[in-house]
Amino acid sequence: MNSPVICPRCAFETVDKLATSPVPGVWDVLQCGQCLYTWRTIEPARRTQRDAYPEQFRMTLADIENAIEVPAVPPLRTTG
Amino acid sequence: MAYDDLRSFLATLEKEGQLLRITEEVLPEPDLAAAANATGRIGENAPALYFDNVTGFTDARIAMNVHGSWANHALALGLPKNTPVKEQVETFAARWDAFPVAPERREDAPWRENTQEGPDVDLFSMLPLFRLNDGDGGFYLDKAAVVSRDPEDPDDFGKQNVGTYRIQVIGADRLAFQPVPMHDIAQHLRKAEEKGEDLPIAITLGNDPVITVVAGMPMAYDQSEYEMAGALRGAPAPIATAPLTGFDVPWGSEVVIEGVIESRTRQIEGPFGEFTGHYSGGRRMPVIRVDRVSYRTDPVFESLYLGMPWTEVDYLVGPNTCVPLLKQLRAEFPEVQAVNAMYTHGLMVIISTAKRYGGFAKAVGMRAMTTPHGLGYVAQVILVDEDVDPFNLPQVLWSMSAKVNPKDDVVIIPNLSVLELAPAAQPAGITSKMIIDATTPVSPDVRGNFSTPAKDLPETKEWAAKLQKLIASRG
Repeated sequence: MNSPVICPRCAFETVDKLATSPVPGVWDVLQCGQCLYTWRTIEPARRTQRDAYPEQFRMTLADIENAIEVPAVPPLRTTG
Repeated sequence: MAYDDLRSFLATLEKEGQLLRITEEVLPEPDLAAAANATGRIGENAPALYFDNVTGFTDARIAMNVHGSWANHALALGLPKNTPVKEQVETFAARWDAFPVAPERREDAPWRENTQEGPDVDLFSMLPLFRLNDGDGGFYLDKAAVVSRDPEDPDDFGKQNVGTYRIQVIGADRLAFQPVPMHDIAQHLRKAEEKGEDLPIAITLGNDPVITVVAGMPMAYDQSEYEMAGALRGAPAPIATAPLTGFDVPWGSEVVIEGVIESRTRQIEGPFGEFTGHYSGGRRMPVIRVDRVSYRTDPVFESLYLGMPWTEVDYLVGPNTCVPLLKQLRAEFPEVQAVNAMYTHGLMVIISTAKRYGGFAKAVGMRAMTTPHGLGYVAQVILVDEDVDPFNLPQVLWSMSAKVNPKDDVVIIPNLSVLELAPAAQPAGITSKMIIDATTPVSPDVRGNFSTPAKDLPETKEWAAKLQKLIASRG
């Protein structure tokens, strides 16, 4: 792998390894530190490479910050 | 025949020719999902799939499409695999009348064989996790029975909920999940979060086939899914006590994951290709911290492909959505003959009904929209006559083509509630709803020219049964 790993979905540059294949050296499972997108390194390019990642599934920091809460956090209920 | 665990059901599926073992090496992505996706495209009696040779894994065991055909659904209920759909739904409805059947508590649950706890929890080490659809945010647990209790009434067995929700694995011991506000667990979570408390949760994977059916079934808030499973199985549902939460969980599960939904926390989750045939999310969803995992030795990981219908989820939640609506409608309108709510979990429903008087069918349609499930789902209702089989779509379309006068028989009501995932809602959670009355008008609603209908010959029913028997005996 020549270029540094970035998130295919949001282009964030901090990517963590969540898991590695039980058969050594076959694949890793990576996760973006920003959008939590998770992928296996041997998945098709459309899921693993920023250039090939489909436009409609891309996500920006604004998308993440402005995403609605489901369900909304309710108001704290004070006793009494 | 009642199955106490997934493995015994898989054995029956295999014996009945309804389980296909894929022995060649397959890629975790995209092969597993693509194969399960394909089962929905090769006919309505497709088999379950079993994989145990997956690239990079040493001991993966993955079952998919377990409920994904009418044959498999019939076998799950202990019926012959060629039972017609209408009969499967009628049998389901008849067994419902035995509700509640008390469960049987057992102490020797096979998932007690192995444990991961605290910092040792690593879901990736135990489960062969994989992605389903291209745009999914990650790997999902999408066929679990999730158990939670009402924090204000934790000892009420009926209010303990067993439901199915989408759950994204966002860490070795962390999950994000989606409780739709209409669902029971959202009520549990709201009560806990109003007090600033975490909500304990138990997530069970690889369950017996009827637990999975009831977990996806729209039941009343205080009705026990375990007591319904007993009614549908014709035998008490075996349950056991989960070690950390003390919750009642299925005895026969492959894996029991316990932890808490962290109070008042939301984190980005999704998107996920949903049962609506569209992606939903990403949204900021609740987060689960996993504290303990119990699992059978060599657990079978059961997953379900869903996407553009029909897929396994449509077979799974089809009949179990029809029956509650049928029961609730018949309670007040005994004229209702049958309910087909098999399209997108009941966003569209077809009801056959006799008419008490002119205008009656439209009233039945409006009632369907105000049932507990209808409030969040039923957006279109087609009413057909009592002698039309609502599961026979050519007959339904005949009714629409021959009996509907659009000006009088199509009613649109604006701004009603629907679940937020409904793709056509605008804004999310709000939609107009439509009734199409394709029944024959009766007095005093005197319209059209329907005086001389052609009916099936009196002997036809007998011949249909005879032909089915002959076909079945042919093997």
